[in-house]
Amino acid sequence: MQVYKALFKVIKKNLPMLMIYVVVFLFFAIFLSNVNTNPLEEDFTETKVNMVFINNDGDSLLAAGLEGYLGQNANFVFIPDESKQLQDALFFKEVEYILKIPKGFTASFLAGSETELTKAAAPGSTSELYLNSLINKYLNTVRIYLSYTANLTIEELLARAEEDLAQKTTVRLEALTGKTETTKSEKCAYYYNYLAYSLIATLTLGVGAVMVVFNNLDLKRRTLCSPVKLRDLNLQLILGNLSYGLAAWLVMILASIIMYGSYMFSGKGLLFLLNSFIFTLAILSLSFLIANVIKSLNAANAVANVIALGSSFISGVFVPQALLGKTVLTIAGFTPTYWYVKTNNLIAELVYQPHDLKPIFGNMLIVIGFAIGILLLTVVITKQKRTSSG
Amino acid sequence: MIFWTFLFPILLATFFNLAFANLFNADSFSEIKIGIIDNEEFRENTSFVTAIQAVSAEKGNTNENSLFVVTYTSKAEAAKLLAENKVEGYIHFDGGPELVVKQSGLNQTIIKSFLDDYQQLSSTITAIIKENPAALQQGLLANVFERVDYLQETPMGRGQPDAMVIPFYALIAMACLYGGFFGLKEIVALQADLSPEGARVNVAPIHKLRLFTASMFAAITVLLVEILILLAYLIFVLKINFGNQFGFIMLTSIVGTVTGVTFGAFIAAVVKTGEGLKIGIIISLTMTMCFLSGMMYDKIKYIISSRVPLLGYLNPLNLITDSFYALYFYDSYGQYYLNIGLLCAFCIFFSSVVYLVLRRRTYASL
Repeated sequence: MQVYKALFKVIKKNLPMLMIYVVVFLFFAIFLSNVNTNPLEEDFTETKVNMVFINNDGDSLLAAGLEGYLGQNANFVFIPDESKQLQDALFFKEVEYILKIPKGFTASFLAGSETELTKAAAPGSTSELYLNSLINKYLNTVRIYLSYTANLTIEELLARAEEDLAQKTTVRLEALTGKTETTKSEKCAYYYNYLAYSLIATLTLGVGAVMVVFNNLDLKRRTLCSPVKLRDLNLQLILGNLSYGLAAWLVMILASIIMYGSYMFSGKGLLFLLNSFIFTLAILSLSFLIANVIKSLNAANAVANVIALGSSFISGVFVPQALLGKTVLTIAGFTPTYWYVKTNNLIAELVYQPHDLKPIFGNMLIVIGFAIGILLLTVVITKQKRTSSG
Repeated sequence: MIFWTFLFPILLATFFNLAFANLFNADSFSEIKIGIIDNEEFRENTSFVTAIQAVSAEKGNTNENSLFVVTYTSKAEAAKLLAENKVEGYIHFDGGPELVVKQSGLNQTIIKSFLDDYQQLSSTITAIIKENPAALQQGLLANVFERVDYLQETPMGRGQPDAMVIPFYALIAMACLYGGFFGLKEIVALQADLSPEGARVNVAPIHKLRLFTASMFAAITVLLVEILILLAYLIFVLKINFGNQFGFIMLTSIVGTVTGVTFGAFIAAVVKTGEGLKIGIIISLTMTMCFLSGMMYDKIKYIISSRVPLLGYLNPLNLITDSFYALYFYDSYGQYYLNIGLLCAFCIFFSSVVYLVLRRRTYASL
């Protein structure tokens, strides 16, 4: 087993470089999978847009009334009325709407003139449209009372308007069956999607580093004249790469088992594990192909980054597939990553009906197809290389 | 080296562009698809029918008031459309309007708000007629439906708020700092114990500062050309919005380039062990700084600048990103000048340390 052992010596030497990707992955997976999930819904809740409410009109009742009404329909975020901070908050979507009530607004509103409030938002956004309509609704209702009723104090005016605005439509949330474990499944799907990136990086890089050493011409000649059979040599190489792939896979699924516990051994969890295992095989054979074409460790590093980042971006690892363009997805269809991510998303949505399992296993078969296809291609290429350069 | 400083950013930018293409307009409003169950009660409610028609878009024909694309349908069909995500919700008149949805969300809230609105207006009208029966003759209905727009848009910054530009700005900053590889190479070539070139250069009767300056300028020139091509690719091919202050954008690129090269030189001079480790440190530091500047997740930049601003100012990559952002969005230059000033301070600090390490060093044995 000298070859097998030598292979792991090479891996050990490159361990710091490989660990970078594992650490990056764990960070991404743990941090982002906890940020990006929606809480489980039991009842319909109105979406509240984050906004800043700045009142420069003193303690006016009208402004207070508007503030109270908006408070029921939006989240107020306090940000000091300072241009840089407001700009940053709006730009990075900490808030989506900024409303300023100018001085003297109440007086001129009650006098019947059409004074204006100033607002800032991302132009044409849905949240802008929604808050525009809420604010105008409130002020218009007050305006109508103001023009058609006599002898009402401001308090009474506002009370009437607010009474009308308290009218609500009933909303029924169409219950979906089997929604209980959705949150965990969604988190898990995020985790396993991110796994694609690091797995590709660590495998291409690791296998690349090993094969660059073994394919070094001088070293190869020396190995070939040693009393190790060529078949044994190749077998040990394949075994070594397989064990490395398996080890990388185990390290990466470990965190998910720690985070999600027994869920990983439930039906869905096992499907996630199986899917990632099959994906590992496909990426292993891809790494093997790459390793046999490149010449140096630097090239391995470059190719690993391009393939890992590239296929992750177009396959929906970082940006959900639903948000990607059609053309992008069509191109992505030629990578195993696309099918792997697609399967993860399907597993997350799965509601346990036999016909739902069919596309999942279908996609897994496609990934296995990739594994075999790429492996065959590698065999052809190495065979040709051997006969051409000797 | 050309790969990391040039090809890699270009590839990454292309991937970003592919992946974010649809995100650019994810926020902008497009008509919400709804279903309405076409039953007796709905048809009798003529004012509602008119109201909904006023805000619904005909297929392929939208106007600025349109909120919804309406499908009039039966109850069973509506439930099916909802299940298949063909509509976001449907309205059912069964002793008053009822909205049926599958999940909570902003679009669903807007449908609800429209229905609320309808009931609230009816309530207002009834209340006023009760109090002032003459109101109808005074044009109440027309007045109710003619809403005054009390809001005035004030643009918050120079450009449109669009956080999707941040990853691209951070990308240029990343390319600048990867330029550290050039700086590293120059420093290795100046040290006699690290390279044969260094050994040769050390016996030449030239002042170290002169050597250092000359090699830095060479590295900066090469990197600057790359950065400018990258910038041109982003602006003209991928059409990323950088604003239109050409002079300042150039200044940022130049200062960023110098920062990158001196950063690499600094790492090369300070870290004593092999070249592999130096490269590893440059890559991992750069990647960490990228993340903290919002390249992978733009909100990180905001979180840092609002909660731990010091961390933002100590991150040269973030300073470059922030300079582009300040040029694009802020209407004043205070922040921009501060960023550029700090970057220059970094350059001076890096170069001084490098020079202190290099100067007067002699070797007893090589």
